[in-house]
Amino acid sequence: MTFRNTPARWAHVAQFLHWLIVVLVITQVILANIAEDLPLGMKKLAMFARHKSVGITILGLAVIRLLWRWANPTPALPSTLKPYERVLAGVTHFGLYLLLFAMPLTGWMMTSARGFPASWFGFFQLPDFVPKNDTLYKAMKQTHDTLALALYAIVFLHVAGALKHHFMLKDDVLRRMLPFTKKP
Amino acid sequence: MVGIARAAEVAPVTRYTLDQAKSALEFQFVQAGAQNKGKISRLAVTLDFSADNPAASKLDVVVETGSLDTGDKERDDTLKGADLLSVAKFPQAHFTSTQITKTANGYDAVGKLTLRGVTRDIHVPFSFRTADEQGKPAGYLLGKTTIKRLDFGVSQGDWKSTEWVGNDVSVSYSLRLVPAAGH
Repeated sequence: MTFRNTPARWAHVAQFLHWLIVVLVITQVILANIAEDLPLGMKKLAMFARHKSVGITILGLAVIRLLWRWANPTPALPSTLKPYERVLAGVTHFGLYLLLFAMPLTGWMMTSARGFPASWFGFFQLPDFVPKNDTLYKAMKQTHDTLALALYAIVFLHVAGALKHHFMLKDDVLRRMLPFTKKP
Repeated sequence: MVGIARAAEVAPVTRYTLDQAKSALEFQFVQAGAQNKGKISRLAVTLDFSADNPAASKLDVVVETGSLDTGDKERDDTLKGADLLSVAKFPQAHFTSTQITKTANGYDAVGKLTLRGVTRDIHVPFSFRTADEQGKPAGYLLGKTTIKRLDFGVSQGDWKSTEWVGNDVSVSYSLRLVPAAGH
């Protein structure tokens, strides 16, 4: 069990946060799609309530993750990377962090603007992010939906990049984020 | 003792009706751990009231359930639908007191509430004060009660479960009443 990143490898804590967020984001996509297809009723309400609770969880984890990143060294990219590959990696990672905040925050604004207060798994009620406002709701829904598409695109780039490192460049960029691989 | 009893019998009872524009009837329920609020805009209230003689007092309220408003059409339509309030079939809720007693904080009206075709006894606690507003008398009735939606069948189909929408619906009232003409 490692607690601090090294210049060569992500610590187990960072790996845990990464993969936990992966699982939660996939959960979000599934919940949102199930909910959208349901007719108005209690099942739809329950799906969206879970979607909101998981979204707030992701927001909390994103904050922890960012603090973690600031407090730890970031494992360096292989020196063999071309400049454009470094830029692409940087932009992709920045985009992912941005969306980990933007998706929950626009979702929270959506539910507040709609006048549907949300809670975190029923344990406590979230304050209203913005006052009820129908125009704002529509704008936030549009933004949330568009950002979801952007997230799919960036996740595709992220996964494709990781697989390229592993199978084509044959470096340890993917392995160092995997919890069950031996240290090089 | 006889004299006191007689004095109570003749204590004046004033009939009041609702000043709808200056009154509010609101409800609150818990949905997925969060408070949802709404208001009712159309209701009729008749209060026969004597502060000294609550036994001779009577409260009667008719609520047009279709006038509920939570600020969201989808939520309103769901609440008005057949599985919940079934407004098309039961357009009115009716409370009529059977007994009003004095309490430490004001009064308690015990009576029958008919909602969605089901009649149950409920308590409607309230405070009442009168005011002289530029020579015109008015009465203010304030209070809050809780009803259980499952008692009235506002719980058909999936809604029978209280996991996502709570059983308790709190109802608060802040009513401005004016003496009825001819009383």
